[in-house]
Amino acid sequence: MNRITSPVLIIASKEICDSSRNRWLGFMGSIFLLLSLSVTFAGSAVTGSLYLPELASLMSSLSTISVFIIPLAAILLSYDSFVGEDESGTLLLLLSYPLTRLQILCGKLLGHMTVMLLATSFAFGLTAILLLLIGEQYQVAELIGAFAQFLLSSNLLALTFILFSYIVSLKSTEKAKAVGCLLLVWFLFVLIYDLLLLTILVSDLSFVNQYVVNILIALSPTDLYRAINLMAIEGSDARGSLAMISQTDWGLSGMYALMLLWVVLLSWISHGIFKRKRL
Amino acid sequence: MLSEVPIKLTDIVLKYDDFTALDGVSFEVEAGQTMALLGHNGAGKSSIIKVILGLIAPSSGSVKIMGKSAQSSHLQHKVNLGYLPEDVSFYNKLTGREVLNYFAALKRVRPTRVADLIDEFGLGYAQDRQLKTYSKGMKQRLGVAQAILSEPGILLLDEPTVGLDPQASQFLYGKINQLKNKGCAVVVSTHELSLVESHMDSALIMSKGRRLAQGTSAELSAESSLKAKIDFGELASWVERDHYLRRFFIDGRLQVESDQKQHMIKYLVSQCQIFDFTIDEPKLEDIYHDLMVHPLLGLPAQ
Repeated sequence: MNRITSPVLIIASKEICDSSRNRWLGFMGSIFLLLSLSVTFAGSAVTGSLYLPELASLMSSLSTISVFIIPLAAILLSYDSFVGEDESGTLLLLLSYPLTRLQILCGKLLGHMTVMLLATSFAFGLTAILLLLIGEQYQVAELIGAFAQFLLSSNLLALTFILFSYIVSLKSTEKAKAVGCLLLVWFLFVLIYDLLLLTILVSDLSFVNQYVVNILIALSPTDLYRAINLMAIEGSDARGSLAMISQTDWGLSGMYALMLLWVVLLSWISHGIFKRKRL
Repeated sequence: MLSEVPIKLTDIVLKYDDFTALDGVSFEVEAGQTMALLGHNGAGKSSIIKVILGLIAPSSGSVKIMGKSAQSSHLQHKVNLGYLPEDVSFYNKLTGREVLNYFAALKRVRPTRVADLIDEFGLGYAQDRQLKTYSKGMKQRLGVAQAILSEPGILLLDEPTVGLDPQASQFLYGKINQLKNKGCAVVVSTHELSLVESHMDSALIMSKGRRLAQGTSAELSAESSLKAKIDFGELASWVERDHYLRRFFIDGRLQVESDQKQHMIKYLVSQCQIFDFTIDEPKLEDIYHDLMVHPLLGLPAQ
């Protein structure tokens, strides 16, 4: 640990060490792997023989499940980042060190991002390797590309929810309150907003055109994630309202840009709150 | 640079909306001196430490650390500050050595210093154990080791001995004294008056954000209404009959202002042959309670 001199890297490596020691990394990696394998090989259970789905169908199923589980994992990883350190007195101690608040924030973010990247890469990477070994119908480049895109979007989604956690953690006075508030955020974005969006899409309202849909998608990182994954899948069998999401004319890169905008906006808000936080 | 006073606070006022946390606090701590910060909960002790650390900007007044503003954006001066927060709970999943390595890396302290401190603080046998297995005393020792990692010129300790047994407390004060003797300016915020009394050079007694009393033990004693008690043993009955001494004779002992002790003893020596006497000076705890009576009752302080 002493060989690193950048404070950001020192804090990041401590966060990774913490996540590894409290078994979060292993636990979440295993959960992701279990889900990934279940989705991949679920068809085999029905048919009684080895049945592998088409790549488009597989990626669609994986993203449908991941949109629930990845934000939750990100929240559980980072909800106590600041309120926990504040309660234990180490935040005050860190601030007495020759560090800026931005360095502390970046260090934690880098550490948590690395942990999420390790857990998702392990689980989904292993699934991709298994498919390459036993699935003869897949083209190697297409499979690797699909999983790489899925990992990228999943980690961007995780990043937004890590930043949501930081904001709530910085504003909370107790860990229990932070986790309660974040579960509400999760519920709002993952279930409520999504449900509202789908209701608007199917209700055939006169003002709902593709532009309005684009705006509504941009207002939620989880819907951006859905849109990215639906758009990225060639030959996606999305129909009805989901098809409308996937037909946004802002393009895949536009959707990624919006996701990055969420990351920048949430980072800016987190830093602003941290800068003004009274200890 | 060397002649700069390590800590100098001048007329500090700290306000949060309508609440005044610090009201006109001024003091200096010289190199090689220990100042005790005393006061009831909420008196402003921790606020003073945060102001010194530069974590809170005072509403008015100046805070100079080694001659420079504590609010300076230049972070390097923080390397020279050692701090142990009150009741800090370090990362339980890390080992003692990892915790010290982490903080050493953040202050760019050489790794060999960590090894030295682990030995010095008697934590060698537990250095590779996770902190969740450490006792309170071990954690406090680790905390103080963390505070002195960079061999700081200024050491700020917030309740360093709370919850510790007497032996562990003495050990920590022994370490603090060693640093003090090397020229470190130490500020200790504590409620354990009897313990800090023998290790401090001066004290600042706070109440409701204000300075109640300040100075050395003798100066504090003079500010209080307490008196030194002189016990003359077998001579007591003679003292009681003396025309001059009679009015100071209370409960079998002479009770005089601290600065009158020598005068009394000189007088007695001139009057009779003294074989033995003991002087009972007011203890810091007694002075503190005496000074605190008025502010806690809402009466104006003396």
